[in-house]
Amino acid sequence: MRPFRSFSLANTVLFTVLCLTMIAPLVHLAAVSLSAPVYANAKLVTFWPMGFQFGVYKTIAGMGNIWRSMGNSIYITVVGTGIALAFTSTLGYSLSRPNMKGKRWVLRGIVLTFIFSAPLVPSYLLVRSLGMENTLWALMIPNALNAFNVIIMKTFFQGISSEMFDAGKIDGCSEWGILWRIAVPLSAPVIATLALFHMVGQWNSYFSALIYIRDRDLQPMQVLLRSLIVEEEANNMIASSTDVASLMTPEMLKAGITLFATLPILIVYPFLQKYFVKGAMVGSLKE
Amino acid sequence: MLRKFSASDSFMLWLIALPGVLFFLVFKYVPMLGNVIAFQDYNLFTGIAYSPWVGFKHFANMFTYEEFYHILTNTLLLSLYSLLFGFPAPLILALFLNEIRRAWFKRPVQTLLYLPHFLSWVIVGSIFINLLSYDGFLNTLLGKIGVRTVDYLTQPSYFRSILVGMSIWKEMGWGMIIYLAALSGINPNLYEAARVDGAGRFRQMRSITLPCLVPTIVVLFLLRVGNVLDSNVEQVMVMLNPLVSDVGEVIDTYVYRVGLLGAQFSYTTAIAIFKSLVGLLLVVGLNGLSRRTTGESIY
Repeated sequence: MRPFRSFSLANTVLFTVLCLTMIAPLVHLAAVSLSAPVYANAKLVTFWPMGFQFGVYKTIAGMGNIWRSMGNSIYITVVGTGIALAFTSTLGYSLSRPNMKGKRWVLRGIVLTFIFSAPLVPSYLLVRSLGMENTLWALMIPNALNAFNVIIMKTFFQGISSEMFDAGKIDGCSEWGILWRIAVPLSAPVIATLALFHMVGQWNSYFSALIYIRDRDLQPMQVLLRSLIVEEEANNMIASSTDVASLMTPEMLKAGITLFATLPILIVYPFLQKYFVKGAMVGSLKE
Repeated sequence: MLRKFSASDSFMLWLIALPGVLFFLVFKYVPMLGNVIAFQDYNLFTGIAYSPWVGFKHFANMFTYEEFYHILTNTLLLSLYSLLFGFPAPLILALFLNEIRRAWFKRPVQTLLYLPHFLSWVIVGSIFINLLSYDGFLNTLLGKIGVRTVDYLTQPSYFRSILVGMSIWKEMGWGMIIYLAALSGINPNLYEAARVDGAGRFRQMRSITLPCLVPTIVVLFLLRVGNVLDSNVEQVMVMLNPLVSDVGEVIDTYVYRVGLLGAQFSYTTAIAIFKSLVGLLLVVGLNGLSRRTTGESIY
């Protein structure tokens, strides 16, 4: 029995260390952003703030472009997810019903997009010619539907017992009525899961905004973050104003902004985690 | 008696499906047809209808440019490294997590391991920049024990390792879920029988757990192989800088930079077509191979 015990111990230690690496970077960033510039500059701060102060977060709260970009992100997340769900559930519903003539072909056409994804340059040219370039629509419409979600939705609707639908029919419901009164309320869990995944995707992605959005006022938050942190605009921001420079180093500001942008995810994640995991399982069943 | 198939139902269902069907036609199929610009000298102002047709000119050019082979090599190397190290990571992690029996420990561990999956690449990039830059955390730490300071972010020799490491950190926990689901489906009688026969923990892992996971592994591998020329653009674009672009420029970033920013629409579309053809050939080829050897396939 001895080797088992020591293996269990080593295993527990391994996972404890792994878990620490998952949160340590965030704790370090928090400590840096809350420290006094002297300590941050001297690289003395590790996981606990030194010379505690809130200056960084006051500066962030005063940055108009952060709030505007956050507004844009919230908009494309909420409205974009609404659009995606409306499209996915209607298409998924029709494809789940036996009465739709020719649905086999539609289904084949959808599955084919698994293999051949829409190419970047022609997609850009299409969005441009539709007049969506430099509007938030470009971030919500082209990615509203994907084959995977439609098939998950369809499979779920098919799992609802057909007696329910027949009963609705006898009581005089049209297909539209069955969709809204029976199918959708019964699929709340799967709809909620798809919504969550789409929301995270909308909130986190920046590449499409990089392609389609030129206007700075329309930038979602991830694009602004990228220019502040990766393209080091935070450094210029600090260099250009002396009273900010005395309060913080660029590293402190970047750490603060990173945490500020992570906060929404950190707040909702613990509550929604089990739905996410369930969602991943729904996906894996398909494969 | 209920009319099961009525024409009006079918019509109604088509009407309900219409927005979705139109979406697929417009945003998935029209761009696919738009691939024809690879055979044109596409001009933004004259459009597809009036741009001159040039046949396979861009494909021929592509194979003569040294730059093309360069980015192809970069893409393949990055992909192979992440296949080699990134693909097994969640599997190994799941096997070890499976050996932890105490639920009160397992739950929070899972919660924490899944967390980075939900952070954006910009955030993850920011974390790693903070860790690896010249005056970053790692250098401060190593400096204390006397290791020379290195600016890891601008060293071409570190670029691929950093990218692969980042992906493993971000995705290994989440990638584990699918294996955990497969693990929970294994019949416990198998383990019991093995224990009766005197099999130890590692023997059980090798002779029961792994074989039971083979179907999952094969399917995930096949799905992954088709994307061998795809890179994670969002990740690469966060970590790419002029000093590492020699190893960091991959097909996807090249198509963005040269194609969209540099307006070489036709040439980069030709590259993209080449990329999807390679992916398709690989999937079809390996799928056939796998069907013959392991009996598993994705279609």
